[in-house]
Amino acid sequence: MSTQVRSYKANKVLERLTKKVNRQIAGTMLACVHCGQCTDSCHYVQTNPGDHTFVPAWKADRVRKLFKRHMDWTGRVIPWWVKAGSVYTDEELEELKDIVFGKCTNCRRCTLNCPMGVDFATMNRMARGLLVSVGIMPEGVAVVSKDQWEIGNQMGVLKEDYLDTLEWMEEELRSDLDDPTVEIPVDKEDCEVVYTINPREAKYDPRTISDAAKIFHVAGENWTMPSEGWDMTNFGLFSGDDDLGGAVARRVYEAVVRLRGKKLVISECGHGYRSTRCEGPNWGGVDLPFEAESSVLTMLRYIKEGRIKVDPSKNDFSVTFHDSCNNARSCGLFEEPRELLNLVTSDFREMYPNRAENYCCTGGGGAMSMSEYAPMRLKSAKVKADQLAATGAEYVVTSCHNCVDGLNDLIKHYKLPMKVTQLVNLVADALVIEPAKASVVVEKKPEAAPAVDETPTVAAALPLEGRKILVIDDEPDIRTFLSTVLEDNGASVLTAGNGDEGMEKARAERPDLITLDLNMPGRDGGQIYSAIRADEDLKDIPVVIITGKPELRKLIYDKDVRRPEGYLDKPVKEDTLLTNVRKVLEVGADDVN
Amino acid sequence: MSLIVDTSPVEKKIGGAKVRLVKDDISAMDIEAFVYYATSDLKLGSGHGNAISMRGGPSIQKELDQIGVLGATEAVVTGAGELKAQYIIHAVGPKFQEEDMERKLETTVLNSLKKADEKGIKALAFPPMGAGFYGIGLDVTAEVMLTTIEGYLKEGNTGLKEVVICANDSRDFVPFRKRMEELR
Repeated sequence: MSTQVRSYKANKVLERLTKKVNRQIAGTMLACVHCGQCTDSCHYVQTNPGDHTFVPAWKADRVRKLFKRHMDWTGRVIPWWVKAGSVYTDEELEELKDIVFGKCTNCRRCTLNCPMGVDFATMNRMARGLLVSVGIMPEGVAVVSKDQWEIGNQMGVLKEDYLDTLEWMEEELRSDLDDPTVEIPVDKEDCEVVYTINPREAKYDPRTISDAAKIFHVAGENWTMPSEGWDMTNFGLFSGDDDLGGAVARRVYEAVVRLRGKKLVISECGHGYRSTRCEGPNWGGVDLPFEAESSVLTMLRYIKEGRIKVDPSKNDFSVTFHDSCNNARSCGLFEEPRELLNLVTSDFREMYPNRAENYCCTGGGGAMSMSEYAPMRLKSAKVKADQLAATGAEYVVTSCHNCVDGLNDLIKHYKLPMKVTQLVNLVADALVIEPAKASVVVEKKPEAAPAVDETPTVAAALPLEGRKILVIDDEPDIRTFLSTVLEDNGASVLTAGNGDEGMEKARAERPDLITLDLNMPGRDGGQIYSAIRADEDLKDIPVVIITGKPELRKLIYDKDVRRPEGYLDKPVKEDTLLTNVRKVLEVGADDVN
Repeated sequence: MSLIVDTSPVEKKIGGAKVRLVKDDISAMDIEAFVYYATSDLKLGSGHGNAISMRGGPSIQKELDQIGVLGATEAVVTGAGELKAQYIIHAVGPKFQEEDMERKLETTVLNSLKKADEKGIKALAFPPMGAGFYGIGLDVTAEVMLTTIEGYLKEGNTGLKEVVICANDSRDFVPFRKRMEELR
């Protein structure tokens, strides 16, 4: 028997292991026969041929050996035979961290392919939880978990900012529908639907909120959004922290109960749906006294019930569908999104393999928050990139915000001519709205010719007219894209290919707004940002960061300077750019028309 | 636990001071000072630290940078920038099943109270110290915090008139309410 001294943390991990192994985990620990069926199912293995450290069974054995040594009699009697082993040092725990966080997205594709029913992803999640309990985790996991514990959502969106965004989206919608009565109701009691979202929507993609609101409004739904308990995502699923899982889920459930809502509708988010609808009641130790459903089902039902009318010819581009692992593999939600997609688009192309067999976006399991593993993640994304490219579609649609980010990242990395969107955007764009009111006309098969916009054309002022915007980015294509979009909307645009040139132009021209790339040769965007904020003449100019490297956020957010007024990930969509720029410049929706 | 939880404030009188339990957002509270559960490098970081930075502005981190680092269980006072509070007490409590956790937590709470008195602070709010992200059980946190606060206030050698426990949510609130009810 080894006499090696075990570290304090290693002891704590082993203590907790004995408490976390339930029947399901024990089955997974004991059932593996090392047949190799899991091997080819893993996207990490497929992109790292010959490297056994990516094989699910090998990864599982790093955890399994602890179970064998400390909880199973075979490991005490014949440890060499059953490959039992222990953990002694903090360095060994760090190595385990790189396996369970860095080499697996908990996508469960190997689980599906295991003839013995070994659920590696569940075991992997448990191992993550053991490490988190002693403070060993990737920095990004710590940041996001702490935000969700203490601020109430995983992106640290403050309550006032969330409410401000809803108000802003309400104004946009009123203008869009030309109807001053349209509302995004907050904390309204006794509604049919309480709608909860991913904080990414409030922070980076508010159009998904206004699109959902538009659909609810046109459907005549009695709905609301809670001022607290509005984040339906749950980082506890990724970090393995069941306490966080329970706390976050309870906040959402309590919001529905407090508002006496009849149904909880969860916006398009794979892990949010799984956590809130499927796992949360167990983590939180509660029975739900209300129904919970994905917004995909809600939208589909509105069409089937004739509460909204849609015209698929309004989305006349080619689309394919990416199944989120949590939605499809873990929750069986894969036919409904396709049914909905076929109703609101006119050229749907299936991706292969699909449904429960689909490959992960490679950003799952919290991988998008772990920048240290980004190169490994993007290498493994080749599998997904090949799948996407084979469809030849112009758009990939997904019902998951995490997948949106994962797919955008790999599309950029592999230079695919493809954009990412969600069903809520497509449904909103396909809506056929009766003029003058938001009443609904039942139309079973949308065969009619595309609706003609009969709104009289008015020589309206462009929304950014009179605004001077400085674009600082070292990539000529990005400068051209941003300039074109901004100029098309009336702005006068200056460009700079590096930070120093940008500073010169900013001082000479005093723009109303600066868009700033972070990753540039010479002084990086972080240094330029600090220089702008430190310059008496420039410090009040609003800055929107536009970066393709989310991990570089720390160049900005770790500094003791005022936060930027906007932050967008590349590739940035035209409408996202415009809505954010308009928000920062406080150009109201009314100014558009 | 039921999904309907009464989180209305609870108040007790101890010595010459009030002890109140509320459910609120600590960095947005209208109180003279509050405690931030800090790390020894004194970087505000995420969670409440993020909210302090966003709402309070950069002056708080700047002040902390000048202080540098802080040892385990120690506490330090800074201004609160643009927050409603006037001061923040940054206290480095135990984290993640650390050794000798309860004693360290008790010392951290005690040091925070002493710092408040040194500064002449009359009203001070605490979060559930070390619970949540740092993994200390809520029952332990509630017991250690309220026992320490009770003892400190009963000694009477304090200018504090109000100590507030600020729970993030109902999960935090319930164990504290249970322990508050035992206060005499």
